Amino acid sequence: MPKAIFGTPEGTRDRLFSECRDRRAAQSLITSLFKKRGFTEVITPEVEFYDLFGYVPQESMLKVVDRTGKILVLRPDSTTPIARVAATKLKNSVFPQRLYYNQTVFRSDIGNLGNDAEIQQCGVELLGAAGVKGDAEITALAIDVLEACGVQNCHIELGYPGYFKALAADLPADADTLEQIRESISTKNFTALRAILEPFGNEKAAKALEELAFLFGGPEVLDRAEEISSDPKAAECVKYLRTLYSELKMAGRGDRVRFDLGMVSGLNYYTGIVFRGYAEGAAKAIIAGGRYDNLTASFGFPLPSTGFAIYVDDLVACLPPARLPRIKAVIHFASGMLDEAIRELETYPAGEAELSPYEEREKSLKLAKDRGAEYLICFGPEGKEEECLEQA
Amino acid sequence: MNRLRIAVTKGRLLDDSVKLFEKIGFDCEAVKNPGRRLLCPVDDGGFDVVLAKAPDVITYIENGVCDMGIVGLDTILERGGEFYEVLDLQYGKCRFALASRGGEDFYGTYKTRTVATKYPKVAGDFFARKAIDVKLIKIEGSVELAPILGLADAIVDIVETGSTLKANGLEVIETVCGVSARLIVNTASMKLYRNEIMSLVAKCEKALPL
Repeated sequence: MPKAIFGTPEGTRDRLFSECRDRRAAQSLITSLFKKRGFTEVITPEVEFYDLFGYVPQESMLKVVDRTGKILVLRPDSTTPIARVAATKLKNSVFPQRLYYNQTVFRSDIGNLGNDAEIQQCGVELLGAAGVKGDAEITALAIDVLEACGVQNCHIELGYPGYFKALAADLPADADTLEQIRESISTKNFTALRAILEPFGNEKAAKALEELAFLFGGPEVLDRAEEISSDPKAAECVKYLRTLYSELKMAGRGDRVRFDLGMVSGLNYYTGIVFRGYAEGAAKAIIAGGRYDNLTASFGFPLPSTGFAIYVDDLVACLPPARLPRIKAVIHFASGMLDEAIRELETYPAGEAELSPYEEREKSLKLAKDRGAEYLICFGPEGKEEECLEQA
Repeated sequence: MNRLRIAVTKGRLLDDSVKLFEKIGFDCEAVKNPGRRLLCPVDDGGFDVVLAKAPDVITYIENGVCDMGIVGLDTILERGGEFYEVLDLQYGKCRFALASRGGEDFYGTYKTRTVATKYPKVAGDFFARKAIDVKLIKIEGSVELAPILGLADAIVDIVETGSTLKANGLEVIETVCGVSARLIVNTASMKLYRNEIMSLVAKCEKALPL
């Protein structure tokens, strides 16, 4: 007899009662908004081929080996599988396609740091839509999701790694140095950044890169970004952000928009704007997204695309917990009275009444008292009888 | 919003951290005399100071229960994590060094060397950069003992003055990297409370070096 297992694997946990309710409530709110905006659901496999996720560090993927010896992973991301679907099964459909998902992604490099191995994500992908209108639709949706969920002090933050790339291309530095610069900007490590850029002296690109780590905040960031660089490609990025911002402003969502031109994370599939969503009460971004125009091309079918994912549990953590329903009535019923009992049960709001499984009325009465219920309702041969219980 | 919370590493870095806050002009009485209190208000700064062990400072920042933190680069390198590392505070200076028994040629052999350390990640990364394979042994207490007892050929450890090494017949072979206190910030707090945090960062920067 093997030893009984009482725990769950690292980074996983059981969820009960309000945790489930709150998560499901958020998921249904979010996905109903997605549906209203014309997105349809896609479900992709929980396991995929390891090789599909080339840009995900291998130590962060949870692996399984299949019967034939191929390495599989529990999906670390939903966008890549959806890009695969779009480039294969939807190849002959009319684009754009609007897809949404409500899936779990998995991580394995979690340590004992309080991180989750299972991350619940709701997200959208707008496939086959180039240009600012698609980005405006998607970023407006991200803002609307945050508002619909009722999180406090929320905003989305737009970035454009192309701006950094344009400045970096003007700097006479090798790839290693540029990677160090990117890393320091991304972690806002001003000390390291200044040290790496020192040898480049007063070179305009170096001065601009030095400022990039702290180029975040309101629209004034865009003015400053224009001032510090004369690179035409960098200017194009700023112009794009400006156009997108003005669209969002005209759509009445401008006050929920901020910028961070230092948002330049490492390996990923983004090619255009990137954005994150923040809210009071969340320790990290609760939305992450951006434009990825080359991802489906790796499956032989180029489609300019844009989308985002919401970290559902992190979003729920920002909200006040919903009150759970309390049992008001316990229903005791004699043999032959099941249907009457069920009908009575269904007159109550979900979770406010309960059938007693006991034969003896005393036991049902005890259950009702233990639950703190207000009534014991009995269905016997003489019909329905209601007993009002004293509240403790 | 709630008041900002700053986690400060207890011990070696605490005195200078208090000095930094006082130099900016904050009243640190509660931090200096915490008694059994772990959460000390700095009212004129509008924030609370949490006194914590170094790796916990990062844990609190990452999980968002503290907004900012003061922690040594040694802990950052060993523990890693996701946060903004905004300022080198230039105190708590020391270095990571590779040291072995005096007179031994650590590199001059084809045998896999054994290295004892309290910082397996720092040591592992150091040798990985050099493309040298070593056997790492994690030691919790006085690492200097390992080469003396013959458990290891060398150690990677924090060196301040070098006197402990000397007293035990060890010599520094090479500096791994310099270490000093860093100001770190939770990534979401930075975005939500930009003005409060950036103004405090600017004040700290102006007060440096202590």
